[in-house]
Amino acid sequence: MESFPIEAVPEAGLVHIACYTGVNNASALKERLQAQDKTLAIGLVESNLILDMFQLLVAATKAALDERAGKLRTNSVNAEIVYNLSPTNNIAESLRRFGISDSTTSLMAISIGGEAAAVLEEMNKTVDGTLTSFSDLEQGTDLATLRKYFKIDPKVTDKAQVLDWIIGAMAMKNVL
Amino acid sequence: MAVHQGTLIKQGAEARVYIAPFCGRKAIVKERFAKAYRHPALDKKLTSRRVTQEARCLNRCQKALIDTPTVYMVDVASSLIYMELIDGLSVREYMETDEGSTQAARTHIAEEIGRALGKMHNIDVVHGDLTTSNLLMRNNDSKSVVLIDFGLSYVSNLVEDKAVDLYVLERAFSSTHPNTEVMFEQILASYGTSCKASKQILKKLEEVRLRGRKRSMLG
Ligand SMILES: Nc1ncnc2c1ncn2[C@@H]1O[C@H](COP(=O)(O)OP(=O)(O)OP(=O)(O)O)[C@@H](O)[C@H]1O
Ligand SMILES: [Mg+2]
Repeated sequence: MESFPIEAVPEAGLVHIACYTGVNNASALKERLQAQDKTLAIGLVESNLILDMFQLLVAATKAALDERAGKLRTNSVNAEIVYNLSPTNNIAESLRRFGISDSTTSLMAISIGGEAAAVLEEMNKTVDGTLTSFSDLEQGTDLATLRKYFKIDPKVTDKAQVLDWIIGAMAMKNVL
Repeated sequence: MAVHQGTLIKQGAEARVYIAPFCGRKAIVKERFAKAYRHPALDKKLTSRRVTQEARCLNRCQKALIDTPTVYMVDVASSLIYMELIDGLSVREYMETDEGSTQAARTHIAEEIGRALGKMHNIDVVHGDLTTSNLLMRNNDSKSVVLIDFGLSYVSNLVEDKAVDLYVLERAFSSTHPNTEVMFEQILASYGTSCKASKQILKKLEEVRLRGRKRSMLG
């Protein structure tokens, strides 16, 4: 697990991100999310749609900002992070695409605030899988799907440019 | 509101620009504030409209593959735009360096500027404040010219608006960089090959110049 400061909203505390492979309980976790189980205070993201940690950190920063302003569009700050990863304003679609599905076997768990050791313990208790590092997940980025969701111009090919396109679209999604 | 851990790099009449950490990177944070003499409620509205307008034009350019800073996050309530920090000098600063004074460098810059503006006008973005301080040179092998400062930008398909955009740059060039008429012609030549409606726009530019001259004769 790694912990990062949210520089733009420092009072929110740190954002904690852990990567898991070989996950066995994705469908059970998804059910808990759908039932809005308040004891599951972790955001769960389909890891093959994360090209770079920056993408997740930007989504978390926006969620922290909107929580402070009392402007969350979803029912929790964790759901908001998942929603923020998507370029559209359709909440259900965004959560379906960027959240976990029944067939998910590798995911990223994310949580804002709290003390790192306690958060990691909670995450390990929640996710039945093997804790790994982001660089070991990266191989599995599903670029074709990202290109489709973000309607990325075919001329944009290098990784940094693809990431820029994604971040730009995330930033603009709720700017009227 | 202060920008957390921000270093102020430019204090203008309507905006402050900071360098601040953002999600592990160094970013530019542009904070727009209202001019105090307007009506407070109206101020707030105008300020947020300009923030969204600036972010939207930047993103519109990015999607058209025009080199502009990536918008990272927009905080409309605080009138902040977080964006990519471009490593490089402004064209204004670069032209004053030894390297930037050479014929080859100037030809390259002119081609880059013309191409960028042609593509920008193709998507009907009018910049509104084209100066050599609002054009940056990427400090990498591409030496690409990056368009910044879309604070006065808007979307328009009018030939007149685009011609005035070029005229503003021409005036900025002649007042900041003496003896650059040839270079400006190179900009227009490159613009001519990149911009679809360049014929009409360049013709309109002649008219705009004449009007400008008349106006300055009247004082
Ligand atoms: N993305 C960026 N990367 C690097 N430097 C930047 C960036 N944006 C702005 N700057 C620097 O800050 C200066 C001021 O920024 P900008 O031109 O956007 O603001 P401004 O002129 O004060 O705004 P406005 O004209 O909209 O009131 C630029 O001339 C440039 O030196
Ligand atoms: Mg400027």
